[in-house]
Amino acid sequence: MAKILIPTPLRQFTDGNDAVEVSGTSIGEILNSLTTSVHPSLRNNLFTPEGKLRSFVNIYVNDEDIRYLEKDATEVKSSDTISIVPSIAGGR
Amino acid sequence: MIEINEAAWQVMLDHARDTYPNECCGMLTGTGTQVTAAIPCKNIYQGDQSDRFEIDPHDILRVQRESIQQGQELIGFFHSHPDEDAYFSATDLKNASPWHAHVVLSIRQREFRNAKAFRVDLDLTESTEEELLWPKS
Repeated sequence: MAKILIPTPLRQFTDGNDAVEVSGTSIGEILNSLTTSVHPSLRNNLFTPEGKLRSFVNIYVNDEDIRYLEKDATEVKSSDTISIVPSIAGGR
Repeated sequence: MIEINEAAWQVMLDHARDTYPNECCGMLTGTGTQVTAAIPCKNIYQGDQSDRFEIDPHDILRVQRESIQQGQELIGFFHSHPDEDAYFSATDLKNASPWHAHVVLSIRQREFRNAKAFRVDLDLTESTEEELLWPKS
C-alpha cells in the first residue's frame, strides 16, 4: 500500500495520523479511496463538490507533481510516498 | 492567534528588506500557534516581483517532510507588500491555502511598518484577520 503524508492541519480528519496507507494502483484511485472510505471527512478539503481537486492542492508522488506525470492516471507503487502540498502565491 | 518569536521575526524582516522593492515570501514553522522558525524562500513568480510572489511547491514539499521528521509543523506562510499596507489582496486570496496562516508584512523604503495575519475559507472567497503577535508588538 502506498503511504500518504498528511499535512498537520488535515490530521484532525485522519484521527491525528501523520501518514495513512491506502491501496490502489493509480493516484486517482488512491485519493478517491482515501476521501470516500478511509477518511471521508478529508474529501471537502481536497475536492470541490464537483469532484475536482481544489485549485490550491498539489499532489506529489515521491518528488513529482502529478500534473507533470499522468494526472489522476499516474501509476503508484506500494513503495511510493504521496504528499499533499498547498500551492502558495499572491500579490498586491 | 499566531505568535512569532524573536529569531523567526528577525529572519522575516531581514528577508523583506533584502528583497525590497520586490515581494519576499517564506514559510513559518513551529508548534501549535507558536512560530519558532521562518524559512525564506525564493520568489519564483515569472514577471514583475514588486507586486507578485509565488513559492516553489518543491520548497513546501521539502519543509513539510522536514517538519514531520523534526516534530514541527508548517504553520503558515509570509510575504511582504513593499510600499503598501499589510492587507490581504484579491490576488493573495485567490492563491492562498485555507489550511494555513498567512502573514503579510508592510515594508516602506526598507523599513518595517506593520504586519497582519489572515486565514481564508475553503473556496478562497473570504479572508479573516487573525490575531498576530510579534516581538515588541
